[in-house]
Amino acid sequence: MTVRILKAGVQTTVQGAPRVGLRHLGIPASGAADPLSLALANKLVSNPAQAAALETTLNGVTLEFLDTATCAITGAMAMVRVNGYEIEAHKCFVAKRGDVLDVGAAIRGARSYVAFAGGLKSEVVLGSASTYLPAGLGGHRGRALKKGDELPIKSARKVPGLTTPDRFRPPMSASWMLRTARSSETGHLRGASRLFGKKLRVGNRNDRMGIRLSGDTFTTDIEGDMPSAPVFPGIIQCPGDGSLYLLSVDAQTTGGYPRVAKVTRADMHLLGQLRPGDSISLLERDVAVAATELRDKHAYWQEWLPEIARVI
Amino acid sequence: MQSAGDDLISIAVAGPREAQSVARQLRATGAWIEVVAGIDSVVVRFDLASTDRAMAGELIDKASVEPFDESRASAEHFEIPVVYGGDSGPELASICEHLQLSEDEFVALHTAREYEVDMIGFTPGFAYIGGLDARLEIPRLQEPRARVAAGSVGIAGGRTGLYALPGPGGWPLIGRTSFELFRPDSELVFALQPGTRVRFTDARGT
Repeated sequence: MTVRILKAGVQTTVQGAPRVGLRHLGIPASGAADPLSLALANKLVSNPAQAAALETTLNGVTLEFLDTATCAITGAMAMVRVNGYEIEAHKCFVAKRGDVLDVGAAIRGARSYVAFAGGLKSEVVLGSASTYLPAGLGGHRGRALKKGDELPIKSARKVPGLTTPDRFRPPMSASWMLRTARSSETGHLRGASRLFGKKLRVGNRNDRMGIRLSGDTFTTDIEGDMPSAPVFPGIIQCPGDGSLYLLSVDAQTTGGYPRVAKVTRADMHLLGQLRPGDSISLLERDVAVAATELRDKHAYWQEWLPEIARVI
Repeated sequence: MQSAGDDLISIAVAGPREAQSVARQLRATGAWIEVVAGIDSVVVRFDLASTDRAMAGELIDKASVEPFDESRASAEHFEIPVVYGGDSGPELASICEHLQLSEDEFVALHTAREYEVDMIGFTPGFAYIGGLDARLEIPRLQEPRARVAAGSVGIAGGRTGLYALPGPGGWPLIGRTSFELFRPDSELVFALQPGTRVRFTDARGT
């Protein structure tokens, strides 16, 4: 089974599970920027939660089925059409040879996920099929998809036609609240309390490595470069030019800028849906509260996604 | 020990060798999702869903951190041929102008010593190699490059940096090596490890 890309969009990549336990070698996580939406798409076609699927960015993707395949779309709020007719997201459907699927531009949120029953066949590098663009690893030849690319799909048994129940459809918004904990250099931020509760804006520099936040000027009392120190997705750096930089799934493993906060694990999946211009409020969370909130979130999702603790 | 986030604990250490030693021992316990060494710290990421923070702290305390073993540092030694300057090292000319050295003098200084890899990080396999001659001290680029070729050699902040794979970067580039730094099919995917000894050789005109 194969699909052919007709319009690739600004950045459509193959993404699945993150790379785990390799950061000491400088190898970033990569994987779906919104792993919850990836898991929801995979659920609808009876795949493991982290099976390799397509991740689109802002303006969607158009593809043609070269064989019959079962498929589902989740993530950003976007118009989805097959052969020009609108179909529902969050619902498994069977496409025939020659059908054209068009995932439209994101209206709310930033990334759509297109999962195929069986999962995409892609190159596994360092334990994951996910594409890491900066070094050209994994996915489809280590790069973003182009018009004409043909992607093989692993064979799959016939799957039951699932639809995501309403209560398990993550709301897409232009205004997000991110729960954050203090990090190593939070105490060096001039006016640390201003960080929390304040309305910030997602800047135009927004990719899988990180997201610039604007809306106020932030500085620390640290002069010059710090000794390189470990950083992780979710860390918010204060580079000294007044802005904040929120690290995402492809983030480097070490950095020299002050680390002034970290988005809690429970809310990390939201990073994949932030789009330029969206507003963000950072809510301060004590580390003990953050642990409770993560367990609460896992408990909520458990019923629909039994693998949730590996997903988010 | 200090919190670095909801699921991160940072441990302050004296320097790169201690950081690597502490990280290696913590990693060996298998209790952590990630153990990453910096220049003067180690950060552990624990599984917030299953591990209590206080318990994580106790586990870190209990991990027997042996003093740095000098004999392990010299286990590996590589000679890395570098084509200095020109298209391979686009900043070499301006660096030499800034330092008031000729390119030959620069190359002589850079190839004169044996260095040690302090840490691997930033991007896949990127090696921070310490011990640069103090006369070669220069700042990072104002505008980082979006993409630097694999094998590129840069200097900044008293270190030489080596790009095992292509990636973004803000280090002024002095040259490039064809030495195979990334070995995806071998057990050690990157040739250089913390503690590896390195000597650069002049490969211009070869």
